[in-house]
Amino acid sequence: MAGPANTGERTEQSPEPVLVFGEVHTCLLQHGQALTGRGAADLLRLRADERVRLSERPNLYVRSPDVPTGVDCHLPSASGAKVRAVGTVTARATLTEGRLLQAGAHCTVTADGPGRRRRWGHYLARPGVVEPFGTLPERDVADGCLGAGRRPGDLDLGAIADRTLTRVLRDRALDNQPPFKSQVTRLRWVALRAADGEGPSLERFTLAGDGLRMAELRLPAGIPAAAAAGLCHDLALHDWLLTTLVRMVERSRLGSTDGRDALTALRPAVDHLMHLWMPAARVDQPLRPLWEALEREPGFTRQWQILVQRIRDQLALQTAAHLQP
Amino acid sequence: MTETGSGAVFRETTAEPRTQAVPLAHVSLELGHLSMEDFEAGPERLREHFARVRPWADTARTVAAAGGRGPRVSTCFLVDEYCTPSATPAALLPVLLAEAERAGLVIDYLARESGCAVADGVPVAEGVGARLVESPPPGSDGSRPPVGQTGWLSNGRRTPGTRTVAAMADAADWQPPAETTARRHSVFLDAELWDAPGGRRVWSCSFLAAVWQLARLGLLRHFGEPVLQPVPWTAGEDFPDDWDALPPVIRLNPSAAPFSAYRTCSVLPSRFLPVEHAVRVVLDQVDVEPHALAQVSERALGEGLAVPEEIPDRISYVFHEGP
Repeated sequence: MAGPANTGERTEQSPEPVLVFGEVHTCLLQHGQALTGRGAADLLRLRADERVRLSERPNLYVRSPDVPTGVDCHLPSASGAKVRAVGTVTARATLTEGRLLQAGAHCTVTADGPGRRRRWGHYLARPGVVEPFGTLPERDVADGCLGAGRRPGDLDLGAIADRTLTRVLRDRALDNQPPFKSQVTRLRWVALRAADGEGPSLERFTLAGDGLRMAELRLPAGIPAAAAAGLCHDLALHDWLLTTLVRMVERSRLGSTDGRDALTALRPAVDHLMHLWMPAARVDQPLRPLWEALEREPGFTRQWQILVQRIRDQLALQTAAHLQP
Repeated sequence: MTETGSGAVFRETTAEPRTQAVPLAHVSLELGHLSMEDFEAGPERLREHFARVRPWADTARTVAAAGGRGPRVSTCFLVDEYCTPSATPAALLPVLLAEAERAGLVIDYLARESGCAVADGVPVAEGVGARLVESPPPGSDGSRPPVGQTGWLSNGRRTPGTRTVAAMADAADWQPPAETTARRHSVFLDAELWDAPGGRRVWSCSFLAAVWQLARLGLLRHFGEPVLQPVPWTAGEDFPDDWDALPPVIRLNPSAAPFSAYRTCSVLPSRFLPVEHAVRVVLDQVDVEPHALAQVSERALGEGLAVPEEIPDRISYVFHEGP
């Protein structure tokens, strides 16, 4: 967790960041065709004067500029402790292969802060950093962020992520004709400081109901919050792919119905999803081992490959049946 | 495209947008910011203006020199032809320059205010507008959308809207506005950034003055490219008959220090005080392009200087008497 960028003279120093938390919403772009790089860049131009980042290797990935939102409210806490904090939350939107839209909001919280609000310029100079009034009970707040600890008026990163997603989806360039129906998934994540000498780790990844997932990480000092957000966007994206493909195979009633019906139901998977699986394509090197934890248990890629294989087998069977005289 | 830039073997330029730096002086000294009424009052008004400005300009230079050897100070002048239609540059500018010279002042750079709205096709004001990150009043938990759609920006919490005459009559229902970082008592300011008569957005003088400050501080970029950059103007070249034919910022003095600077000082008549209060409220809430900000800070550190972190702390004023 790196500190804010060096901006020269400091009127007041910020204490060390000890907690990062965020929320990522993932959905299918509501559009008939996958967008090209240029179309995606136009869509994600959330700021009139700033370039959108566009990368074409190893897949097409477009990222909006970071947009800060000012907040001054209580942080969620499991115990109900009222911890007021002030600062900015960073929101961004990404589009992968012109198809998968994600909007995320995250912020870094410092270990402590003054018992009063500073001038706004201080917070603006530290984008994505939120300072508590007093000492941060980081475990309590982390639990509050992941669990049901949020009370009305507590910091609502989900609302910021949702607003960013909605803003993109309302763009007139989109025809609102997605090739298949799918769910929006939400990943809430927190990253606490790793013990001294320990590397980064993924402590928990929980599938809750209603498209909600929760992840808890440990990060050593020096890993930027944006890198953790990048990892969580990647986890959320692949979790969405897996969730969506599982549902699609379920709905196709593969093996129990006429093969041709199943084929029709699975066609969108072949056309739009199967090429999107690319774990850790843009995850920072130090955080890539965290993916391996999910590969061992429960085995994300293993499950994906089995699903893909089932679909391909079905296709082969249908082709063979078609070729018989 | 990762955050720590690991894997330097392969790079994509579109994934790592670059921000171009601008040359920087120590101080950008503004010698006036006049509207058409000032010009219409004739050369005597300009003569009076520059005579008043001169001692303060000298003082500003002395203060800049106190910071070290060989201070780089550039001077500038802003003509407000945005809000009110005006005489042509050809009619106006030679008189302006002659009166400045008579007072012993050299105008290095001359700008027109409409350039702060749109410069060479770049919607500068719109870009700055999109970078406003409002200072959140207490209780802002992220659930409400930013109020940026209204065209107003304040330094605190507004009085809640009163819907009916009956409610207005009931003093108990009234809640005062509050300045967010007030020292016990509030000085609440709500500044109009733009309006849109007939559907076309017209920027306020205060907002354009904030854009002008950002230009002078070298903090404006459009897709990473500097905007409102001075264009050299040959001495003796005739000024055009149309403001649009004049570049947004021209350099009149070939040996001038750079247009943008670490700090700005503006010598203005006192009537500008409310406008400049609004400018500070705006600048306090602009999320400046971080690379541009870092470039300025790093350059200053390289010269052994410190630039204040907060943008409003980089600007200063001398308010003098006068019309």
